[in-house]
Amino acid sequence: MSDVIAQRTLARSAPIVAMPPKLRTINLTRHFVRGGDAGLTVFQDLSVDVANLEFVAIIGPSGCGKSTFLRILNGLDQADSGTIEIDGRRVSGPGAGRAMVFQGFDLFPWRTTLENVAFGLEMQGRSKRERLDIARHYIELVGLTGFAQSYPHQLSGGMQQRVGIARALAVRPDILLMDEPFGALDLQTRDLLQDELLRIWQSDPKTVLFVTHSIEEAIYLADRIIVFSPRPARIQRDIRVPFLRPRSEELKTSAEFLAIRREIWCLLKHGVDVGGPQAAG
Amino acid sequence: MSSTTRLALRLTGLALFLLVWELVGRHLGDALMAPPSAVARELVALAEDDQARATIWQSIAPALVGFAIACAVGMPLGAVMGRSPIWNALLHPWVSTFVVTSVAAIVPILILLIGTGWWFVVAVVVLSSVWYVTLTTYQGAVRIERRWLDVGRSFGASRIRAFRTIMLPALFPYLLAGARIGLTHAIRSMVLAQLFIVSGIGGLLNEAGMDVSTARLLALLVVIMGIGLAASHGLGRVADWLAPWQRGLEPQR
Repeated sequence: MSDVIAQRTLARSAPIVAMPPKLRTINLTRHFVRGGDAGLTVFQDLSVDVANLEFVAIIGPSGCGKSTFLRILNGLDQADSGTIEIDGRRVSGPGAGRAMVFQGFDLFPWRTTLENVAFGLEMQGRSKRERLDIARHYIELVGLTGFAQSYPHQLSGGMQQRVGIARALAVRPDILLMDEPFGALDLQTRDLLQDELLRIWQSDPKTVLFVTHSIEEAIYLADRIIVFSPRPARIQRDIRVPFLRPRSEELKTSAEFLAIRREIWCLLKHGVDVGGPQAAG
Repeated sequence: MSSTTRLALRLTGLALFLLVWELVGRHLGDALMAPPSAVARELVALAEDDQARATIWQSIAPALVGFAIACAVGMPLGAVMGRSPIWNALLHPWVSTFVVTSVAAIVPILILLIGTGWWFVVAVVVLSSVWYVTLTTYQGAVRIERRWLDVGRSFGASRIRAFRTIMLPALFPYLLAGARIGLTHAIRSMVLAQLFIVSGIGGLLNEAGMDVSTARLLALLVVIMGIGLAASHGLGRVADWLAPWQRGLEPQR
């Protein structure tokens, strides 16, 4: 019986053919050169298509290169070969409709919430009045009204990451890249922010790529989960998550949820067994 | 510890020190160690002496000019060393060497090079304080976090924007700390330089030393301490005002 559920719920996603996907990577390859060493292939020939407004989670063993993949998509790092296309147009470097939410929040300690959220708009050269207006809107959206004039050290970890999310949303990106955004938070805050993220995402839909360590988080949030293999990473499994939205906490104990969780868990465990100890990162 | 308790303890410490000094001073006599009561009388006399006051003010001017030059040179130097491994490799050995070298040892060469005028004091002040400004700025520049620069790049910051909105604010606390340490050294070396060429405060000290009384010497010492403390504290206040985000991060002063 569990096989039936697995077949129904874990069907591979069908390739999208009709129009160019929102984001497409073609044979993306990245090596790290280590002094004298032959170097290290982080991933090779990684080809991924992400549809417009799709919420895609990327999960994989530690050090498999999922963060590097995201950094390359953001333009912070360069691939050694392969291309990235957005709406069918090739891109390189940062900008162009992508914004990143960082794992360590990485707010500027010398800026208030308002100034941190307005940072991206400031880099775009928007007028002060315009960027503060937009920043206030997103501060309200992430539920931080009243903390606009606080400095990061006066905020809790969860609040800091709300600022990080608002900062990324404020530049109105088409694609939101999230690099283990809740990884540094305690479990309760994490659960809370997952629901908040879904609420925000439903009120302001975007294409999301969400790197995470947490299987539950991936299933709960995403439309689709890409499971990376250990380094050199390739796509081990591409899973469509069948649950309707809005989703709620009860979902996490449903049989279907647990079945997907078990499948991913087995994939990751198998990967660790085969790949041996991996460097963190 | 509450701030009232701390203040009370500080005042007690000061009172005890003055008491011991007074007792020792009365025992040893003015020629060896004037007691605080005599020093206080001398301080009043100094304050009423127009010429001495003018001399003290004029002494401070070259120290401030030297300090300004030290900041103008040391801050960019430290920042470049902190961000560029090549410049750091070229310059760091020299900076580390000069910072441990006594300026007094360079004084004879300086006198030969630029004489014993106003600019001599400036040169001594620059040479003794610039290294502290440089090294403190360097420490700050090294510590500019990569993740902050990543955020800048991620949001498409140009190099100039990244410098102005990330590097400068990140460096700022270190610039201020460097300025504070530099200013302390500037005032210390100002006295040293003026002792060598017998002018300004150094001249006053020299003059007082000729008398048999130490009261004036000690009064001048109190004045010099006061200038140093005021300068360092004043810059600290400026730092708190300019960089309010630092207040929550630093342990209480």
